[in-house]
Amino acid sequence: MTDANVRQVVIDWLDDNVHFGEAESLITDDEMSFLDHGILTSLGFVQLIVHLEDTFRIKLERKDLTRENFDSLAKIVKYVTAHPGYRATA
Amino acid sequence: MIARGPVVWTPDPAAARNCRLAAFRAFAAARVGRPLDGDDLDTWARTEWRDFWTAFLAWADPLRDGADSPACNGDEIATARFFPGLRLNYAENVLREIPEAEDRPAVIAADETGARVELTRRELRRRVIATARGLRRLGLVPGDRVVAVANHDADTIVAALATTALGATWSSVAPDLGTEAVLARFAPLAPRLLFASRGTQQHGRVVDLEERVSALRAGLPSLEQVVRLGRGEPAPPAPGDEPDLPALADEGDWSWPRLPFDHPLFILFSSGTTGPPKGIVHGAGGTLLEHLKEHLLHEDLGPADRLLFQTTAGWMMWNWQLSALATGAAIVLREGSVSFPEPDSLWRFVYEERVSVFGTSPAFLRYTEEIGLVPRDRFVLERLRVIQSTGSALAEEQFEWVRDSVKPIPVHSISGGTDIVGCFVLGHPERSVRAGESPSLSLGLDVRALDPAGTRCAPGDAGELVCANPFPSLPVGLVNDPDGVRFRRAYFEGFPEVWTHGDHAVFFDDGGARILGRSDGILNVRGVRIGPAEITRIVDRFEGVRESMAIEQRAPREPGGSRLVLLVVMAENVALERPLVLKIKKTLRDEASPNHVPAVVHAVAALPVTRNGKRSERAARDAANGDIVANESALANPECLGAIREIAPERPG
Repeated sequence: MTDANVRQVVIDWLDDNVHFGEAESLITDDEMSFLDHGILTSLGFVQLIVHLEDTFRIKLERKDLTRENFDSLAKIVKYVTAHPGYRATA
Repeated sequence: MIARGPVVWTPDPAAARNCRLAAFRAFAAARVGRPLDGDDLDTWARTEWRDFWTAFLAWADPLRDGADSPACNGDEIATARFFPGLRLNYAENVLREIPEAEDRPAVIAADETGARVELTRRELRRRVIATARGLRRLGLVPGDRVVAVANHDADTIVAALATTALGATWSSVAPDLGTEAVLARFAPLAPRLLFASRGTQQHGRVVDLEERVSALRAGLPSLEQVVRLGRGEPAPPAPGDEPDLPALADEGDWSWPRLPFDHPLFILFSSGTTGPPKGIVHGAGGTLLEHLKEHLLHEDLGPADRLLFQTTAGWMMWNWQLSALATGAAIVLREGSVSFPEPDSLWRFVYEERVSVFGTSPAFLRYTEEIGLVPRDRFVLERLRVIQSTGSALAEEQFEWVRDSVKPIPVHSISGGTDIVGCFVLGHPERSVRAGESPSLSLGLDVRALDPAGTRCAPGDAGELVCANPFPSLPVGLVNDPDGVRFRRAYFEGFPEVWTHGDHAVFFDDGGARILGRSDGILNVRGVRIGPAEITRIVDRFEGVRESMAIEQRAPREPGGSRLVLLVVMAENVALERPLVLKIKKTLRDEASPNHVPAVVHAVAALPVTRNGKRSERAARDAANGDIVANESALANPECLGAIREIAPERPG
């Protein structure tokens, strides 16, 4: 697994569940805030988190589910790839 | 026999003695000349339901003309008519003068940005009357139909009450419903007037509704007038022929027209397993009386309360919370996302607005739990005294979560439906609450569970939920169904002589009840009820798709505990590729609503059909859930179930 894989998993999930093939074109910058630009709602975040946990077989701490960690593509990639469980399976 | 959950809340005996239900119990006992202690009240209300409704009418004492008897003409549920000698006005009763509430807030409405409107009861009544006069000046008369694509805000409350004040019939949908779905609902009503919000907030974005309104103008040839709600945002000023709500106001005297008990009040929409959504017409008297009963007796609402029910203007709970004004309670509205600008925004709002009764859903409570939010650690929810939950079944552990993470207060898991604009099971201020259950059946309704042979189930055994006696909030009819054929087919085909609701339920001998889910093919995803035909009608149009079927699959980790699965049979030599899947999902979102988008799209060789040639959503659902397929022997093609069983729960689509 690489950072690019995590990025693609998030893009695919957004395409499958929220933007239906348009996620890549909507996210013009990996640093772009998901919440501020309507890419994802907080309720959607919960579903994305469940998907990331299932895909990478990791358990994310609920206290870490903050804008600082998850509000952009870059932040999600950084958080997931730094997760001890992810590194163990990567 | 279904095992029961633990008791999670017990009422304080002193508070129970002082509730409105206790006052009504004493009133009714004096009328009948015998004590109605404990469950005796329930038994009397159910078996002597004519006396119950007459007593309740006298106790609640709505403003009315005419005779209080007979309580009901006829014993056949489909044709029984309550209080045929009475005339009343719904809005007059909802806004009746209540001295201690006149100068208190009656409507508190806020949106995602924090913009807040507060109307006292006196001011709300003044605005409603002025708007009703304006509507009358436009030529609206009793019986006309008024429709709305409307936000959950104060303007919509004023528009609905003004419409019903003059005797016109109100029907509303939320702004996120796609144009095709709106037209499928509104076109059969031949409405004369459309109320339309200018825009709607969706998680920090303002979505302009101008294009939607233009399409509705074109698709509803009966429309004579469009009135805009929510001034100035976000669209530029509307053309001169479309006034904003305040521009309709015509201050002056008003006399509330009192109309027959069954006069059409609301038209709500319910999705069947086949065909377009059906328009269900509810009468003014039945709606008012049922809602007064539920709010006053079951939920003990009064002028000291502030009720916030998490809803949109397109769900029957919106109509239900509107009627709460009749008790003198304030209603608290919040438009937009529950989790914007912050994940705890709705809980913060409940705290800041000192909400006493908070109506929500299993999905929202699960979301709160999932993000690790513990409301009691963040907010002092001093005024909060009840949490209501509806839309889908509330899991046992969620009752315990509320007790431990919010507050040790009763959780009322209430359930009923659009079809009866009310509830079959709900709260009870004198009873303990068990995890996973509602503490009471709706007073006056003979609600039962039947087995497939039509025999009453023993307490604790699951069966088909039916109501075996007439009740006032029965629909007065369906739209475009003059001879009642569709009405009878919808509710009276399952078992003779009783109302069959389409839910599976279990009842216990102490009044406890548990709703287990739909017994038919209706989908209930994240608390939103969807007719499968609303989905397949769109999907079957795609080139390469031969036919499709939408089913609900259990998914414990999803908000609401289930997800939508779309089964498609492709034409020969055509594969279901990802671009087509995404196109189907996008089209469903745009033409129906985000709630209509399946989590999973799965190609199968065939859909299960019975030997009579009828498609069986139930067989597909059971197979997808890994359950025993109850009607497998009745299927013509049981071999198709194998592929459906392969859809593992929670697998991404």
